[in-house]
Amino acid sequence: MSRVDDLRGTLAAVDRSRAALYAVLFAMVAFYLAPLESGLATSIKTEAGFRATTPYAPPPLGEFTLAAWQVAFDRLSQGLINSLLMAIPATVLSALLGSLSAYGLTNLDWRGQTGVLVLFVAGVFLPYQSVLVPLRQFWSAVDLPSLIPLGFVGSYEGLITLSLTHAAYGIPICTVLFRSYYATLDEEMIEAARLDGASAATIYRRIVLPLSVPIFAVTLIYQFTQVWNDLLFAIVLVTDPSNQVVTVALNQLQGSFVNQYNLQMAGAFVAALPTLVVYVLFGEQFAKGVAGES
Amino acid sequence: MANVTLEHITKRYEDVTAVDDMNLDIEDGEFVTFVGPSGCGKSTTMETIAGLTLPTEGTIEIGGRDVTDLPPKDRGISMVFQNIALFPHMDVYDNISFGLRLREYDQEEIDRRVEEAADIVQLEGMMDRMPEEMSGGQRQRVAIARAIVRNPDVFLMDEPLANLDAKLRVHMRTELQRLHKELDTTIIYVTHDQAEAMTMSDRIAVIDSGQLQQIDPPLVCYNEPTNLFVAGFIGSPSMNFVEGEVTADGFDAEHVTVDFDPDAYDVSVGDEVTLGIRPEDVYLADGVESVEDPSAVVDAWTDVLEPMGNEVFVYLKLAQDAELRIDERDSDQLLMSVDPDVEVEEDGEIDVVLDRSRVHLFETGSGDAIVHGLD
Repeated sequence: MSRVDDLRGTLAAVDRSRAALYAVLFAMVAFYLAPLESGLATSIKTEAGFRATTPYAPPPLGEFTLAAWQVAFDRLSQGLINSLLMAIPATVLSALLGSLSAYGLTNLDWRGQTGVLVLFVAGVFLPYQSVLVPLRQFWSAVDLPSLIPLGFVGSYEGLITLSLTHAAYGIPICTVLFRSYYATLDEEMIEAARLDGASAATIYRRIVLPLSVPIFAVTLIYQFTQVWNDLLFAIVLVTDPSNQVVTVALNQLQGSFVNQYNLQMAGAFVAALPTLVVYVLFGEQFAKGVAGES
Repeated sequence: MANVTLEHITKRYEDVTAVDDMNLDIEDGEFVTFVGPSGCGKSTTMETIAGLTLPTEGTIEIGGRDVTDLPPKDRGISMVFQNIALFPHMDVYDNISFGLRLREYDQEEIDRRVEEAADIVQLEGMMDRMPEEMSGGQRQRVAIARAIVRNPDVFLMDEPLANLDAKLRVHMRTELQRLHKELDTTIIYVTHDQAEAMTMSDRIAVIDSGQLQQIDPPLVCYNEPTNLFVAGFIGSPSMNFVEGEVTADGFDAEHVTVDFDPDAYDVSVGDEVTLGIRPEDVYLADGVESVEDPSAVVDAWTDVLEPMGNEVFVYLKLAQDAELRIDERDSDQLLMSVDPDVEVEEDGEIDVVLDRSRVHLFETGSGDAIVHGLD
């Protein structure tokens, strides 16, 4: 009898702690999602709607509209395209170069590699602000169209400049990410390939690169988000309005006299969409890469 | 096929000498095992032969050709690693054929050789399996096939069985011996497991502190160890050691005396020597007829019994005084093995004798052997 009572007591205790746990979890979810929810709610209200209600409330009857989304999409579409044109090459380039340098710094043996590695690590901590002025001066001294004599370079100069800057700036963090992964590769496996007659380049191409898929996913997602979300470099380095990226365009959605909150919120969601798509596409690989599986 | 010669091989890292003036002559077709405790330099020695590490000094010849400065791929060797080290993203066929494809052999030749190698290690029908779908033993076979397929002059094997479970290890041991018979290629094998070394090798090279201690056939290492290190390392359980000194009557220690004529050997009265005797050469004093030449009786006290099935290991304490028995000095202990049908009780007094013809004497200071078996 007492055993049954014990069991009942245990069950009750479990239930109570469970309930508390879920309550806390739901509270945290609500806390984190509240800004998103209010943004989404605001973006589908008319101007009268968002003035009359609190941000969290759903649109009042008759004040629901998708017009803000329509306008935001129209005004950001060129910025979206520009951002994609800039961010994809920058991301791929810094991931590839980061992978290559991490391989050289981790799996090959040469004199002075520790010193070089320290420089890479230092590069991770360079604050953007400290390089703005020299960077601006550097790019004004470089004549891209004459360096790369291809027809399209002239009209995309701002984007190419920005893309190359992000690619270069991303190499250190990509190198560090790849290095931590390459350090876990079986050294004997690489020696086995060497014994089979593979050169350093062959080992990279046939062994290391194919085994890097999970860490590429991590690096691509991370780097794409970084590059996509950047506003500082974009404002400083791109002057040509036709080369404007989405973050700059989003910033300009802010009206000069009236705050069109619904438009700004819709614009923010439109600008964030591609990073979401990237997470969905590479999510599984990302989880594997973070967990350190190969 | 080729012989391997190491001359004065030394490998120094910044503050450690991993290999110290190693000289070795390995015959064509021989199975030589490098054995020693971890960190003794056996793997480094193998890496210098493979070319994965360059020696600080000395030369290496394979098949009469100086390969000291050649890259690994041009030395005519293949290597099997402890971690097995398969390429995880390639199937069995691609793993085995990797080196051949790099060298751009034509497809028919590659197929023929892969099939042959897979046949030798019994991997038929597994060509499109991925490493992650295979058991440890199967993976090790793939690794061996990958080594065979290159048709090397010398096989280097660095603890290839260390990561396998005990049963599989014994099985692979016989397979490697069969492989050696079949291929008739020189094999250099590194292990810290003296049982592997004893069972497989033509000769064992015992290495300690980067130095070659002895290179001889297994039974010679067992019966005539050149020094205390080899005597203690080869054989399981280890040889018993008792420290004492030479008197006019022979060997004398606190609890053990063994008579001999000091003039008959290279010792003089007062020398500090260590007596070595293997567990199977210690006998009960009762019914000792089987020993032709027993030593004086040693009074002992049984401590722990370890029945192994085919024999029983008896741990003996030599100090009779209960207080002294707490002391754990090696010289006060003796391990003997007896037949399982002999009745021995735990915690009882017991008289034992040593087989004089199986007694080893070593210089205590240098550890060098003086004599194996007293007359």
